[in-house]
Amino acid sequence: MTTHQMVSATPFSSPSAAAIDPVFRQIRDLVYKVCGIFQLEEKLYLMADACGRRMKQLGIRTPREYWDLLTAHSSREAEIRQLLNEVTIGETCLFRSQPQLDALRKVILPELVEDKNKQVIKRLRIWSAGCSTGEEPYTLAMNMLEESEHLLKGWTIEILATDLNDRSVETAKVGIYGDYALRSTSDYFRRKYFTPAGEKKLEVRPEVKKLITFSRLNLQDDSRMLFMKGMDLIFCCNVLIYFDGPSKSKVIDHYYSNLNFGGYFFLGTSESLLKLNDKFHLVHFPGTIAYWKPSLKSGKL
Amino acid sequence: MSTSVTATIRERVKSIETMPSIPTIFLPLLDLLNLPPERVKLDEVVKLVSYDNTIAAQCLRAASSPLFGLAKSPESIKGAVIALGLRKVETILLTCCLGNAFPTKNWPLDPIVFWRHSLGCAMVCRKFSEKLEAGDGDRAYMAGLLHDLGFMVNCIAFPKEFAAAAAHASQKQIPLDEAELTTMGFTHCESGRALAERWHLADDMIQVIAHHHAPEQGESAQSLIALVHLSDLLCRMRGMGYGYYERRRVDLMGDPAWGILLKEYQNLAGVDLALFSFELDEAVGEVFELVSTIFGAAKTRD
Repeated sequence: MTTHQMVSATPFSSPSAAAIDPVFRQIRDLVYKVCGIFQLEEKLYLMADACGRRMKQLGIRTPREYWDLLTAHSSREAEIRQLLNEVTIGETCLFRSQPQLDALRKVILPELVEDKNKQVIKRLRIWSAGCSTGEEPYTLAMNMLEESEHLLKGWTIEILATDLNDRSVETAKVGIYGDYALRSTSDYFRRKYFTPAGEKKLEVRPEVKKLITFSRLNLQDDSRMLFMKGMDLIFCCNVLIYFDGPSKSKVIDHYYSNLNFGGYFFLGTSESLLKLNDKFHLVHFPGTIAYWKPSLKSGKL
Repeated sequence: MSTSVTATIRERVKSIETMPSIPTIFLPLLDLLNLPPERVKLDEVVKLVSYDNTIAAQCLRAASSPLFGLAKSPESIKGAVIALGLRKVETILLTCCLGNAFPTKNWPLDPIVFWRHSLGCAMVCRKFSEKLEAGDGDRAYMAGLLHDLGFMVNCIAFPKEFAAAAAHASQKQIPLDEAELTTMGFTHCESGRALAERWHLADDMIQVIAHHHAPEQGESAQSLIALVHLSDLLCRMRGMGYGYYERRRVDLMGDPAWGILLKEYQNLAGVDLALFSFELDEAVGEVFELVSTIFGAAKTRD
């Protein structure tokens, strides 16, 4: 049984929005204000589940009492982060956001290739910041390999994948995944880019691993952040939610200077920068948003 | 656009108003919509809504949609009109009427997809207008609902030509208006305008229909056109487009329409566009439901 399935058996697990205590909507709005993660109405029960687990751990009986704890000045920040841990638990999987991948392959890559085609070195640099156990960088690598026979023929692709947690980085390097992590991976990709690795597990093929450099990195380490230059794309999903306002602003500023002009910065599907940076342009692609560092030729700096 | 193209469009548009499927109440309703609110009488609206049983039933069902804000379906037409207010009832009536006005057999566009976009845009326009505290949300709703009137004209008056444009758009994954221009030499903006003028729609609606792809070219009502333009783009990026993937990046804040709106509504600068987009995702289901409420019944009239 997965973590996600286990946690559903709480008193708050009804998928029916009508049965949900309105306090959870208030909590949803508070979480957005503090962290920029938005929980859709249809997934509000997941938020209610997560609150239920925290309430149980804290010995709190009613959602209203939990709301008081979340809004009390002394405990607010810490408890919201604990709650977010619960909310984002088990969310990671390969191919998590198809609209992001479509935007990448159908709109962004053709544009980047056109822009960079005149350059001597045809190189694409992607950074998966906060890569956890590797699902995101491997997904990106497989999609880039798909394009390497067409749009990216003759291009060098470099994917840098970093995480604060040593153990996550080590797990990521191994690249072995079970059914739950592979739940959104199509048969086509399973057959082409994985080999069997024990019961119900698959291992990423060496040609995919070859594209990625894994390393440990603290996003608050300014001296190292200054050296992460020349990125075309940065992915940072559900990571910034753990930073307070000023630290978040600083990391975002770093990302802005780490990106090449015309580069893109992706957050999680329902995550926003909360207007913390006005140099990035929020842009829409079908089904997803991204933050764009305008290109020099666009004249929109 | 050349004079001969304009003449051809006008000629073909003439044939539309004689089509038998236009509900009898449609043209009187349009007259009513042009009146200032204080001159609209409650009884006249009730009479219009009650005239056609199909439309009356659709209106009652539509009134209970979360999009219009009534918790449960009102029991009588008069009850609905009182609970919702005249302007809102008019917009519901217009929604239902348009759904019934055009025969949709052999449309080059999937009518369900078309209505999802039109109603979606109407909903986004109203929400956007509320965010800006721009005043008349129902007017914005109506503008969103009518903005693509020209597609209906093209479906009926230029079926072959428009079928080729729609196929070209989905094959190349480009905006439909670009494909129209390439393959037909004109867009739904021109054909929509021709019908809107024949029907004597209010000037601001004609402006929206004619210029929603280039608000800066609007002769008047520029901020309403800009609002519809941005809402239209948002719809197409958030699952209420024309049923195919549009390969494009949309930079709303870099769009001239954003600048036009910002001049009039300074609080636009404070709108959290990411949050607005996420909130719209929540309303998509409601729009789809409303479309099946209205369109399901409309089908039998073809």
